[in-house]
Amino acid sequence: MPEGEIARPVFYLLPVWMVALFYLLAATGLGFFFYGAWHRVRRYLRGRADDQAVFTWQGLVRGAAAIFPNRTVFRDDPYAGIAHLCTFWGFAGLFIATILVLVDNDFLRFVLPEWQFLKGTFYLVFSWLADLSGLLLLAGLFLLASRRLILRLPFLRYQARPEAVRLPSPPALAREDWLFLGLLVLLGMGGFLLEAFRIRAGGPEFERASFFGWQVAQGLGSLGLSPEGAQAAFPYVWYFHAVGALALIGWIPYSKAWHMLAAWYSVAFKDHAGAKRLPAPPEGDSGGYGRIEDLTRSELVMLDACTRCGRCHAHCPAASGGFPLSPRDVVQVLRAYAERPAANGALAGGVVPESWLWSCTSCLACVERCPVGVWHVPMIVQMRRFLVAQGQVETRVGETLQSLGRYGNSFAASPRNRAKWTQGLGFKIKDARKEPVEYLWLVGDYASYDPRVQEVTRSAARVFERAGLNFGILYEAEQNSGNDVRRIGEEGLFEALRDKNLKVLEKARFEKIVTTDPHTYHALKNEYPNGRPVLHAVEVLDELIQNGKLILEKTLDGPVTYHDPCYLGRYNGIYDAPRRVLAAVAGEVAEMPRSREKAFCCGAGGGRIWMEDVPGVTQRPAESRVREAAALAGVGVMAIACPKDLAMFQDALKTESLEGRLAVKDVVELVEECMSK
Amino acid sequence: MNIVALLRVVPDVVEELEIAPDGKALDSEFLRLVISETDDHALEQAVLLKERLGGTVTALAIDAPEIDETLYGALARGADRAVKTGDAEMNLSARAAALSFAAAIRDLGPVDLIVTGAQAIGDLDGLVAPMVAYYLGMPYLGTVTGVAPGASGKSATVIREFPGGVRGEFDVPLPAVLGIQAAEKPPRYVPVAKVRAAMKSQSIATCGVATAAESGPPVVEVLSMAKPEPSGHAQMLEGDPDVLAARICELMGARGLL
Repeated sequence: MPEGEIARPVFYLLPVWMVALFYLLAATGLGFFFYGAWHRVRRYLRGRADDQAVFTWQGLVRGAAAIFPNRTVFRDDPYAGIAHLCTFWGFAGLFIATILVLVDNDFLRFVLPEWQFLKGTFYLVFSWLADLSGLLLLAGLFLLASRRLILRLPFLRYQARPEAVRLPSPPALAREDWLFLGLLVLLGMGGFLLEAFRIRAGGPEFERASFFGWQVAQGLGSLGLSPEGAQAAFPYVWYFHAVGALALIGWIPYSKAWHMLAAWYSVAFKDHAGAKRLPAPPEGDSGGYGRIEDLTRSELVMLDACTRCGRCHAHCPAASGGFPLSPRDVVQVLRAYAERPAANGALAGGVVPESWLWSCTSCLACVERCPVGVWHVPMIVQMRRFLVAQGQVETRVGETLQSLGRYGNSFAASPRNRAKWTQGLGFKIKDARKEPVEYLWLVGDYASYDPRVQEVTRSAARVFERAGLNFGILYEAEQNSGNDVRRIGEEGLFEALRDKNLKVLEKARFEKIVTTDPHTYHALKNEYPNGRPVLHAVEVLDELIQNGKLILEKTLDGPVTYHDPCYLGRYNGIYDAPRRVLAAVAGEVAEMPRSREKAFCCGAGGGRIWMEDVPGVTQRPAESRVREAAALAGVGVMAIACPKDLAMFQDALKTESLEGRLAVKDVVELVEECMSK
Repeated sequence: MNIVALLRVVPDVVEELEIAPDGKALDSEFLRLVISETDDHALEQAVLLKERLGGTVTALAIDAPEIDETLYGALARGADRAVKTGDAEMNLSARAAALSFAAAIRDLGPVDLIVTGAQAIGDLDGLVAPMVAYYLGMPYLGTVTGVAPGASGKSATVIREFPGGVRGEFDVPLPAVLGIQAAEKPPRYVPVAKVRAAMKSQSIATCGVATAAESGPPVVEVLSMAKPEPSGHAQMLEGDPDVLAARICELMGARGLL
């Protein structure tokens, strides 16, 4: 480097042996990195091939749009968003800076010295940006560490797990979390210290571009560090920083730091929509996930994308109610298992205990909240499928499945009584098997058989009739849609129910399907080969009110609140139609703190409504939910749009002694109330 | 240990039972036939014993409409063989059913243990199981809730439960016929995929149909069947609470309750 040029000598003040040793260490660090990375990729390739294309250009664009602004991290946690964005861009800036030095010093210097670019104005801008990146990194890390040290966020702590689940131990996870954070802090601070020593050792005036390093150098000077002292200490400070950086690089593929790469994949190339429509079980006799090789390659990458941020855990109705399930633990255990399958025995029912798997309500809050695109629910269902194939289901679930297979409903009731609810309506509902209708109404089990829900079903029939809807039902030929059967993991029974329903649908003449049941809605819309539109009753009501076919004579006193059913909201994105209907009947919808995408499950989904209570439960999801609604000032009605909600919340009102305070009513009942003066 | 589980189907009482127009039988139009609940327990007990001790389980059923479904279910649950006997068209009496079972068992080869439901809704007297034992010359124990074959395989310890909370342990030489009241564990759920796999890979044999001559002409004849006449109705009172209260007092007084 010519005298007086604006640039920085690399390996400044370092003896030759130190430079040589550095290259040796660099090779070792990179060796560790590539060996670990190769190991991981090889493990991914042992997984099952994905059934969808993995790489897509849309995915790349979607991924960049989500990852560069850290959008998924920001969502519902701006603090974490800012902290991570600072860390992300700080780290990215320093990473790019390091790459530039590498290219300039270790490549161009030997090959094309006239192309070297780290000099002059570019060098000044480079220095300034690198300092900014370092500051961003440290600021981000400070915010992140505060979440653990000062805010002590409860979902960042790991609970003790049952004896049988050995790996990974919660203290080991916590140690890794701190090691990651600590290494980054060490690197950020070490970098500035190194810069300051270099400047103090005789850095020229233009080094002021390294604005923060310059200040640290001044600080060191005022602390009594002489330029000679800085020169003497410089090689050691340099080594401290270099070894730290290489240690981090080498450690990345062996730790959660790997999320820097794995999350790119899961965020970019895996769409949440895929988690809503359950994938087929793996080929073969296992029926589901019994071994780690049964997981798809994408799922294996997803496990590695997890940073244990705890959002799934915090939003899980099972985890927050004291059920023995934490979606985060499922991911952690699967990941540890993927690393050492031989040491751990069976997967479903073994390292992932049955009690965890059966606690899931399939509400999708975990998938929805996950910033790195992990599909907890499909993996849980795949493991359930394995248990079901082994005949490992609790007695009551077995009886319910048997009833569904034999009678087509979960009530062990005669199919001939399916349309008994129509008695006393005062008019006859068309039989869609015999005459053409515009709307084919698939009623669903709870709406047909549960005496409490039957009143709502009759209300829907009266409203449809008064609005002049041309609709019919299938009477005793309808069977349960199989949505929850599928989520229990009984794929064979789901297929049998689906095929029986499709056979009947084939013969009926109709244009659209309507239902009051979000579970039926989801199955018909997304998991049946059905080409015709599927509408939930609230969508039909919304349309009827908008086009003036349904006339409201009065409005209710006072605001109502609305509970988003999982299979209508998170699964299908129907948030606005029910709110528009409620705004028309009640003037105002008071929102609960957990609403729309963040709505809290009633606890019935995924077949949980057919399962026994779990010992140790501190608060059933439905109880937590009615308390949340009752806490809203001036709200006396919680509107719902799912027959299972009615059953769950009415029970919860009783156990929470809120019967006088809050009423649970279906949207359709409120509409009917307002249709007459 | 070779175990045979005897299975029969019975009308499903979830469906409302209708009497046929001739007034002498159940109307078969809406009749749904399901495996008798105690037979289901007997099959479960047989499979549990096989899982514990090894051996084979043969599911042997009296032929009936849709019996194949039940037998494939038994195969899927863990039975090794499925066999049907008897005549699906004949509504077999207990004696004819027992004769058919006995004839089939003789055809099946060596047997160590025969289990079946202690009772069925079509056989409330629990006649079939002891009759099978009689025709085969084997000992019989009914209302069994637990079986533990001895190490020699020559005898078994059998648990029976009696009214009043009394439990008895019996030693019975094998082969024997046991009427099962309840299996140790409730019958397991058999996933649909397993039943389908059994349908694909296994088949149902037929054997030992007892002839009409063997069982002899029916000596008991059905004269008529009818739904029981309701003996009394609840009376619903409606109206103003004060009037109602007076009316209730009056009614109770008239019955000497006040």
